[in-house]
Amino acid sequence: MNPILSFIVILIGIYGLAISKNIIKSVFCITIVEAGTILLFLNFGAYEGGLIPILTSLGLDVVDPLPQALMITTIVIGSTITSLALMLCIKIFHHYGSIEWKVIFKGDK
Amino acid sequence: MIKKISLILLLLFILFVFITSMSSFSDIYNNAGKIFFSQNGYTDTGSVNLVTGIYLDYRLFDSLFEAAILLIAVSGVMLISEHTIDEKNATFMIDKQKTPELFVTFSRILYPIMLLFGIYVIVNGHLSPGGGFQGGAIVATAILILYYIDIRKTVDVHRVLTIEKFLFLGLVVISSLSFFTRGELFTNFIPLDANIEYKAIFLTSMNILIGAKVALGLVAIFTAFLKEGR
Repeated sequence: MNPILSFIVILIGIYGLAISKNIIKSVFCITIVEAGTILLFLNFGAYEGGLIPILTSLGLDVVDPLPQALMITTIVIGSTITSLALMLCIKIFHHYGSIEWKVIFKGDK
Repeated sequence: MIKKISLILLLLFILFVFITSMSSFSDIYNNAGKIFFSQNGYTDTGSVNLVTGIYLDYRLFDSLFEAAILLIAVSGVMLISEHTIDEKNATFMIDKQKTPELFVTFSRILYPIMLLFGIYVIVNGHLSPGGGFQGGAIVATAILILYYIDIRKTVDVHRVLTIEKFLFLGLVVISSLSFFTRGELFTNFIPLDANIEYKAIFLTSMNILIGAKVALGLVAIFTAFLKEGR
């Protein structure tokens, strides 16, 4: 059940990307998709009763550490993408005077 | 309206495909990795924290390019924001709105504690939860609190970027050292049959380099954003 819920979060993010009229909201939706991806991958490895993957003593019943190691990559890359996109948003606002997709596609200053 | 309905139908179809693929879950994912890492992870990498063991030993190549992507993104933010920093007499965004006195006082108390905690998380990355990326973010937050305390202290972002490039070079050099000791690139440079505790030398040095790199990168990004405000 849990992987399906986190996949629904991804779909909500994609829906928001498709219908949002504001650039900042689009950036938010990218972040939502990223959060859903992280939840989905963490759900793959986790199960009830599993401990965190730190072997303080031998023979512990730990969860799979590989999805967690992959998600560190996702978090770092997601933060860099968000910062780049927001910086582009500032530049677009200075150039067009608006952050609505409609105004930007028309191309008038 | 029709567009929205068709979009929702499309997304529901994707959800249906996902649910049907999840019904044969064992084809997608199995327990082999978990068993391998919990049995061999500590003896192979010398790291109690298996996540650190994976991203600094088994998948070091991956982490190197992750650090490279952070460097490229910081350079990109600098490049895009460069014109306004030099041309216009940019003022800081925080300067316009007065910071409350209470906030400043508590920042002064919290700043050393946060810095210490960040360094603890970085250095103990192979023993406890944390590591270079997470600790670097904490250290960056601690440094950014300084902006609230005294706004006149500025950071030279170009110097920060230069230091970050050299740190990345250091990461590549340290991770390539294993070519001479083990005969393969991008893994721990201490031989596989050495004492397990010695392997922590490599993990700690890599964690410190990554932590410094992430902290400097985030400080540079935040400073570039602050200078945009007018």
